[in-house]
Amino acid sequence: MTPTSRLELYETMVRIRELETSVESLHYSGRMHGSFHSSMGQEAAAAGVTGCLRPADLVTSTHRGHGHAIAKGMSPTTIVAELLGLQPGSSGGKGGSMHLHDIACGFLGENAIVAGGVPWAAGAAWASRRLGKDLVAVSFVGDGGAAQGVLAETLRMARTFGTPLLVACENNHLAHSMPSERTFGEPGSIAAWAAGFGMRAEYVAGDDVFAVHRLATEMIDEVRASGRAAFVEIEVWRVRAHSLNDPDYRYLPKDLGKSYLQTHDPIANAERDLPLTDAEAATIRERIAGEIAEAIDAALEGQAAPARLATTGVYSEAFEQEGRRRGW
Amino acid sequence: MAGEVKYAEAIRQALADELSSDPRVVVMGQEIEALGGVFTATQGLAERFEGRVLDTPLAESATVGWAIGAAMAGLRPVVEIMFMDFITTAMDQIVNGAAKLRYMSGGQVAVPIVIRTPSDAGTGHGPQHSQHLETWFAHVPGLVVAMPSTVADAYWMLRHSIQDDNPVVFVESKYLYFRESGEIGASTAADHPYAARIARRGRSVTVVTAGRMVAESLAAAESLAAEGVDCEVVDLRFIWPYDRETLAESVERTNRLIVVHEAVGDFGWGGEICSWAASELFYSLDAPIRRVAAPRAPIPFASHLESAVVPDRSAIESAVRDLARH
Repeated sequence: MTPTSRLELYETMVRIRELETSVESLHYSGRMHGSFHSSMGQEAAAAGVTGCLRPADLVTSTHRGHGHAIAKGMSPTTIVAELLGLQPGSSGGKGGSMHLHDIACGFLGENAIVAGGVPWAAGAAWASRRLGKDLVAVSFVGDGGAAQGVLAETLRMARTFGTPLLVACENNHLAHSMPSERTFGEPGSIAAWAAGFGMRAEYVAGDDVFAVHRLATEMIDEVRASGRAAFVEIEVWRVRAHSLNDPDYRYLPKDLGKSYLQTHDPIANAERDLPLTDAEAATIRERIAGEIAEAIDAALEGQAAPARLATTGVYSEAFEQEGRRRGW
Repeated sequence: MAGEVKYAEAIRQALADELSSDPRVVVMGQEIEALGGVFTATQGLAERFEGRVLDTPLAESATVGWAIGAAMAGLRPVVEIMFMDFITTAMDQIVNGAAKLRYMSGGQVAVPIVIRTPSDAGTGHGPQHSQHLETWFAHVPGLVVAMPSTVADAYWMLRHSIQDDNPVVFVESKYLYFRESGEIGASTAADHPYAARIARRGRSVTVVTAGRMVAESLAAAESLAAEGVDCEVVDLRFIWPYDRETLAESVERTNRLIVVHEAVGDFGWGGEICSWAASELFYSLDAPIRRVAAPRAPIPFASHLESAVVPDRSAIESAVRDLARH
């Protein structure tokens, strides 16, 4: 295993930030339509946890999952094309922003049903072990997802069956407009709840990618060795509104996200801790911005899928052929 | 397998044969390992197939989600939901996960899972253990809905469903588990796996039905034959996809159509068949299309109340008589 270097963790975060910022611009310029949930500010969770995985390891994600996809190695061109509904996208526009999948790089997919992907990760990791593959799965959820019954059910099944799963709960303080403090209590409370399932459960502040990575590496190593599930709560902040057109001024102080970044920006913190000089950081950011710009240009060259494809790929090819023949 | 077996034994035999022939198959559910299933469908299988027939906690949603993940990773899981009414607690995973993953991923993943679940009234289980909900699943793109009515189909349709690359909701008849006997025999798939079966040939009226209501319809057909009304009974076998070719061919001969199901009539799958037939077979029809189905009420516990809502042969007979007068 090649350990991800500190610099790589930083670069992954910059790549995520750059992608989210660019996607915002695409939206504002009218080139992207529909739903978009930015993960800006949460980069350390995606980079730190995913950075200790092997290529064959599996990840499931949420509706706010562009960062997880990037961190697991999904191509920015494929991601952006999917967001634009174009054919080089992962499903040629059938899924969109909340349904990125890239099985080749172990990204089992986002899931727009909150916490719905957790049992997928658990079952896939369990099945892979049975098939003789030495891999683990990480399932990202949010504090919103921590309230869902299916998470509790999955943790219960993980205890019953044993599965090499790390649930990475990004507590961004808000389930849309519902504060996690109101649902669970202070940060750390979600981990305390998960510990009740008889598994190791930890809390870590998510403005320090190196701390997240250190803890996740230790926990993933344990999960891999024991085949047993674990849970980590990562405290982050949702810098942007829930989704692009969400009137978050109705439930949050104005500019809270911006002021959070001024004090807790995981990217600025990593630049300080690496350390990088301003010039070094600028060079890296510029290079990555160039990569993302190229990826967006490539995505924009994609073709819209023919409308007839909208009703294909619902069932297996053999089934659909039979159906066309027989008028289903 | 020679000799007669019960419907429940046919299910068990299909599971055993799939577990034998395909190492990817695992069976998961509540009370299926130590107990062998509340309807004995998995009895003895946990001992024969160690580690592949697994009791789960009472967590239907995570169980189905777990099976979806396992299917994405290369297994062919079969999940037992003890009573069809309990499937409501796993709806998200079935509707938003299993049914949509192939589409949402642009074909990167398949979800070859089977969700076996018994339905039917007639066993005194009351309102939360008896409802027919197959229409819901037939409405969801991405799912296949199977509903076998005979021992042979219980066996062959289950084997086919486990090897189907699409997610299948497999609705078993708990009324027939220990009442219906027959031989497993040779494969029941006609010219294609989802073909309907003409259970009884007739000239006067086409009665299209599935599951337990096939037997009721056949019984009604026998009484009616004595009155000179010759029913054709079509066992759909699959609610989705339903075999339009066989239906059309039948109605073109009989010129009359009745749909019979145990599910509530309002918005039930019979409505879909009627609508399709009214639109596509209009000029073949000599009479209005009729439905025989349950009224809009839960399935009551007491036998005398239950009989008041579940369609039976006499309800079918009077509908056919009425139609035959046209």
